[in-house]
Amino acid sequence: MGDKSDVLQGTLDLMVLKTLESMGPLHGYGIARRIEQVSGDALVLNQGTIYPALLRLEQRGWIKSAWGTSDSNRRAKFYTLSHIGRRQIEEETENWERIAATMSRFLAPSN
Amino acid sequence: MDQIRVLLSRFGAVFGKQKLDDELDEELRTHIAFAMEENLKQGMTEQQARTAALREFGGMTQTKESYRVLRGLPAFETLANDLRFGLRQLIKSPDFALTAILTLALGIGATTAIFSVVKAVLLAPLPYKDSGRIVAVWTANPVRGGQPLSSTAGDFAIWKRRSGVFEDLAPSYDNEMTLSGQGSPQLLIGYAVSANYLRILGVQPQLGRLYTDQEDSPQGPKVALLSDHLWRTTFHSNPNIVDKSITLDGVAYTVLGVMPPGFDYPTTVEIWTPSAMAASAYDDFKEPYVRILGRLRPGVTLAEAERTLNDVEAQVAAAHPQTDSGNRVVVVPLRQQLDGDIRKPLLILMGAVGLVLLIACANTAGLALARNAERQKEIAVRLALGATRRRLLGQFATESLLLAMIGGAGGVLLALVGNRFLLRLFPTDVANLNIPKVTQIPLDRGVFLFALGVTVLTAFLFGIVPVLKAMRTEAGAAMQYSTRGSTTTRRSNRSRSAVVVSEVALSLMLLSGAGLVVTSFQKVLNADLGFQPDHVLSLELFLPIDRYPSTDPAKRRQFVEAVEKRLNALPGVRSAGTTNFLPLSGFWGTSSFLLRGQAAPKNGQEPEADNRMVTPGYLRTMGIPVVRGRNFTDGDRAGGLQVAMINETMAKQFFAGKDPVGEELNLGSADKPDWWQIVGVTGDVKAFGQDQPTHADIYRPFDQLPFPLVTFTLRTETDPASMVKSAEQAVWSVDPNLPVFKAIPMDMLARQTLAVRRASSALFSAFAVLALVLACIGIYGVMAYSVAQRRQEIGVRMALGARRGDVLRLMMGLGLRLTLSGVVIGLVGAFALTRLMTSLLFEVNSMNPPIFSIAAMVLVGVAMAAAYFPSRRAASIEPMQALRTE
Repeated sequence: MGDKSDVLQGTLDLMVLKTLESMGPLHGYGIARRIEQVSGDALVLNQGTIYPALLRLEQRGWIKSAWGTSDSNRRAKFYTLSHIGRRQIEEETENWERIAATMSRFLAPSN
Repeated sequence: MDQIRVLLSRFGAVFGKQKLDDELDEELRTHIAFAMEENLKQGMTEQQARTAALREFGGMTQTKESYRVLRGLPAFETLANDLRFGLRQLIKSPDFALTAILTLALGIGATTAIFSVVKAVLLAPLPYKDSGRIVAVWTANPVRGGQPLSSTAGDFAIWKRRSGVFEDLAPSYDNEMTLSGQGSPQLLIGYAVSANYLRILGVQPQLGRLYTDQEDSPQGPKVALLSDHLWRTTFHSNPNIVDKSITLDGVAYTVLGVMPPGFDYPTTVEIWTPSAMAASAYDDFKEPYVRILGRLRPGVTLAEAERTLNDVEAQVAAAHPQTDSGNRVVVVPLRQQLDGDIRKPLLILMGAVGLVLLIACANTAGLALARNAERQKEIAVRLALGATRRRLLGQFATESLLLAMIGGAGGVLLALVGNRFLLRLFPTDVANLNIPKVTQIPLDRGVFLFALGVTVLTAFLFGIVPVLKAMRTEAGAAMQYSTRGSTTTRRSNRSRSAVVVSEVALSLMLLSGAGLVVTSFQKVLNADLGFQPDHVLSLELFLPIDRYPSTDPAKRRQFVEAVEKRLNALPGVRSAGTTNFLPLSGFWGTSSFLLRGQAAPKNGQEPEADNRMVTPGYLRTMGIPVVRGRNFTDGDRAGGLQVAMINETMAKQFFAGKDPVGEELNLGSADKPDWWQIVGVTGDVKAFGQDQPTHADIYRPFDQLPFPLVTFTLRTETDPASMVKSAEQAVWSVDPNLPVFKAIPMDMLARQTLAVRRASSALFSAFAVLALVLACIGIYGVMAYSVAQRRQEIGVRMALGARRGDVLRLMMGLGLRLTLSGVVIGLVGAFALTRLMTSLLFEVNSMNPPIFSIAAMVLVGVAMAAAYFPSRRAASIEPMQALRTE
């Protein structure tokens, strides 16, 4: 996974984890909508890209999935944060903050 | 950790793909449904809601595709696809598949079976500490035939002190002992070894302890170590054997310990006792009886050690010219020492079976080439449709591997069967061959890994040519020419020709080798042993020194005379006789001698001859002719005229042109002569095997020189094996406490001697036949394919007036040309390679034009037969039909 979308992917992964942390079990559409809402629609997401991200997280064992029923009585696949995932959020957050801090230092007007 | 989880999850997803796909579909459908629900709430129409939902989702197909790539193992799935496809391909052409698989199974099976023997015998780790540094040290002297033999204690002591190349050096010597008080008396092959000898080997007893340096002295206690075999059989695995007293040669010995199973250096030894060398023994430079074992210092090479020892020995020879001049010190690694006479035959067989494997590869390559040519169109279509060459290469590699793996599995099965047969070919109980004891040939992980390696190598060898050819296919070109298919390209002809030529060449090499080995074996079989081995039973005995001391020769005489009398009286016995060293028994001894009027040679290098003490009945019983003079009689007694017979070899060597009868031999020394008059000349006896040179022999009457080693021989009217019991009874009726070391019919001993030769001859022949069959199949296949491909060309030729005979000649000519090129290359190879086989040959020159020509003729005949049938088919082509098809 050494291509250019790395940062974006990592970002998306963290967004998914954070969403599940704050919202509890959620299906794919819900996660996608929540991310769009939180980012204040600043992030225009191809909602489909959420699914490979979910698969990736599940393969790593950070989230789990199970079929369930939605509020509107629709059969849907719900994702939950696993123990490993919960621990991982901290690490990923630190990572992200470090990158963000570094980036902002680069982007700050030179003095 | 994450990576492993990911891999496992991906691997799991390879299976049940359909279900996972369905789930994904459902999940994505739900997603759209949710989105539409929300859009509808915002007041969109059904159509608008769906369009908006799909737009926000992005590409549905791309999502699914990237999801799938992430989910499974694409490379693995490709492989599975290729395997499935390959299997289908094989099933589609069962003739090709079966022939190829059988060919490979035979090649891989034979190679694996022989390798299992090589591994068990030559490669198995020795059960000794750091065995790479353990060496045996021998003395070779031209006077004693230049063979590496035992050394003197004096030489040993100086080498140990001065050479500086050894961490430790230890003496040992033969020490046969009679065990009594445990059922019937038993003669044990014993070995007297110094305490450090066992430390050099680094063995520990399974029970009890080893003796110490203090205990290993002339004044030390009488102690002994038992072999595992002796402990299990004679002592019934008695766990309390340690510290028990046993009787050896009439003396009480304390059992110190039991050596571990598998400890058998030197082989067949049953009991070890301290060497108990007196300090004065190390001043002796005359008696070579010490067998030396050493451990090299780390970093000292074999060559270095040998050079240093020979430098030291040169100084010793300067100081002791009488005994040591001409001595050459030989250092032999323990491994080589143990492998003995079987190493070279095994390596040669391994080489031969390697050739069989190569032929199998060539054969399969030929078949694959022919088949792939039929698939040119398929390849071209795939290329045209955008398959990458890499992808095609992968598929071909998979198909080759699949074929090889099935063949390899069959080969391992064959090896399992053949393995048991091989063990019987290498008997362990051969008196005069030095071969390691191999009680089982395990087919273990190493052997399986080898088989796997060979299989992969095979796949590469037979797969590479067809693949390379296929990869050169141009999409457009291939489609064109295979649809028209009028003539073959020169290139495809060339690779198929190469296959036939190499098969013929390799087969010829094997066939020539087999011819040499089999001819040698026939010669050995027909070689005159110099005695009549059929209907002769032998019983080997040692007279224990305590009860038959050399100071009382009369007792030995009486014993032998009494036993011979009883043996002669047994029903079914024609005659009986006695000797000391039985031919083919592996035991012998020599005496030096001088002729009358001959001055003592310089440096004490008197000529030597094997000494043989016999009773008058011995020559008659064995069927050894007296060619001049007379045999011994009952009148040649102790106290009378000392008489001797010599063999023809000795007569030729030392009495050229003279009649030796009446001449005298001095078997004492120049100062103290001991004269024996030659009364007869006997025929030569091959005492060391049919294929070994005859030594000079001096026979003397047992009565005049009673030797404590006694072998009774009896010529029987019926099967000698059935006489063992009554013969043993005859011995025990004279002395009930005397063990019979070995009772065996002479023809069995003669057969055993040929064990390794018989095995290598049988295996070599089998390999040659296999090679012929494989080559035959290969040539047939290539020719048949060639005919099929040239159908139209032949049709055109015939339409233009060629007759059937012309076509037959054309095709046969092609076959003959290829075969003859193979024969030329094969002959060059045979001349180059058979030189390596000289150790398997006997009275047969390795450069052997007659044998090579016969092999070449056989091969040409077989090849022509294989080419004939396809050629006849070519000749029977109906021109019109051939031109119309396609």
